[in-house]
Amino acid sequence: MIYALTVPGPIEDAEEVRVLEWHCAVDDAVNPGDLVVELETHKALVEVRAAQAGYLRRIVCADGGWCAIGAPLAILSDTLDEMPGEQADDLPMLLVEFEVC
Amino acid sequence: MSGKPAASAPVRMFFREAIARAAREAMQADPRVIIIGQDVGAFGGSYKEFAGLYDAFGPARVRDTPIAENAMIGLAVGAAAAGLRPLVSITYMDFLMLGLDPLVNYGVKARFKTGGQLSVPLIVKTTAGAKGQGVAHSQCIEAWMMSVPGLQVFAPSTPADAYLMLKAAFLAEGPVLFVDHKRLFPVAGDVPPSDAVADVGRAAILRAGDDLTLVAHSYMCRVALAAADRLGQSGIRAEVIDLRCLSPLDIATVETSVARTGRLITIEEGQKICGVGAEIIAQLSCLPLSFHCERIAALPAPISSNPVLEAAALPDPDRVVAAARALMTKPLHKEYP
Repeated sequence: MIYALTVPGPIEDAEEVRVLEWHCAVDDAVNPGDLVVELETHKALVEVRAAQAGYLRRIVCADGGWCAIGAPLAILSDTLDEMPGEQADDLPMLLVEFEVC
Repeated sequence: MSGKPAASAPVRMFFREAIARAAREAMQADPRVIIIGQDVGAFGGSYKEFAGLYDAFGPARVRDTPIAENAMIGLAVGAAAAGLRPLVSITYMDFLMLGLDPLVNYGVKARFKTGGQLSVPLIVKTTAGAKGQGVAHSQCIEAWMMSVPGLQVFAPSTPADAYLMLKAAFLAEGPVLFVDHKRLFPVAGDVPPSDAVADVGRAAILRAGDDLTLVAHSYMCRVALAAADRLGQSGIRAEVIDLRCLSPLDIATVETSVARTGRLITIEEGQKICGVGAEIIAQLSCLPLSFHCERIAALPAPISSNPVLEAAALPDPDRVVAAARALMTKPLHKEYP
């Protein structure tokens, strides 16, 4: 299956976040508990960790980019054989865990 | 940070970052600019709105002070009269009250008392608004300040205006009260390049409409826009005006809009009595203009730290929408009475 990694929420006071740093590259395997991406609100960092396994296939919002809560950050798939399309908006959501630090 | 080349295109950033950028550029451009206040130094500002400045410019120009607002503004007035360009940060606008004597009686009047020989190019930056902190850390008293002759009052609602208007304040001849808002710091927006210049003293039309005019400043612009969105869904086209600057007040932009719509709602987080809306409606009433109006403001009570009571006291889109619907039922009299 193909999934979208979206900006998790709710995060207090945040409508929009900035991507601080991706910790995975395209085609990397992602396992539950792996730190995938760090996001920045106006006053906090948000660590987003995978809660299911998959492969990162496409980064929609690169380092320094802006993304609204709930909007897609990346596309992942269960296997490398699957070919994700360009559209990330209507995909099922990848399960994640997040912590506001 | 200080080694970055000047930006040549709009850059998206948080409201607090727009303030830091304006301050950094002013400090780079003019060695007379200093920042003083609580936690402005290594901590980077109570809302991180001065982040990076202490490292870039050092403790002589980014100076922490004790909690003593009267002394802070007093010494900043003196420093400005003696040739510096201080920004003094008063974390909560409620405590601006302690510094009003040096600001109003000395800072603002120095130019008048000396026949223009002494100027006091001072910025008092302060944060207004309710966000869960109770009776003495929530107030919006900017309307009081509108009646001080010679004091400019800026109250931006967007990161772009925070940047442009703070930059303009650093170039102003006399004292500027720069009012931001706790609920604006999380907001992100596109900020223009460093060669852009603010159109200070002009209101901005945030949304065009012909049915009624909503006038607000600072965070209440977002409440007005949310209300306008909802009104739009039922076919009522509200024009939303961001005053941006309360003194000088751009009444002409409001007049032009109200002349077309015939209906006006003013929205402010401060008090209704002698508020911004009262002043706008009074000024419009002296013009050959016929209109229906309503003022929306905080309820006449201290702002509670109880979130339910706080929300009940503050203007919100529901109140604006209800007032707008009521105004829409009143027939327009296009002729001057």
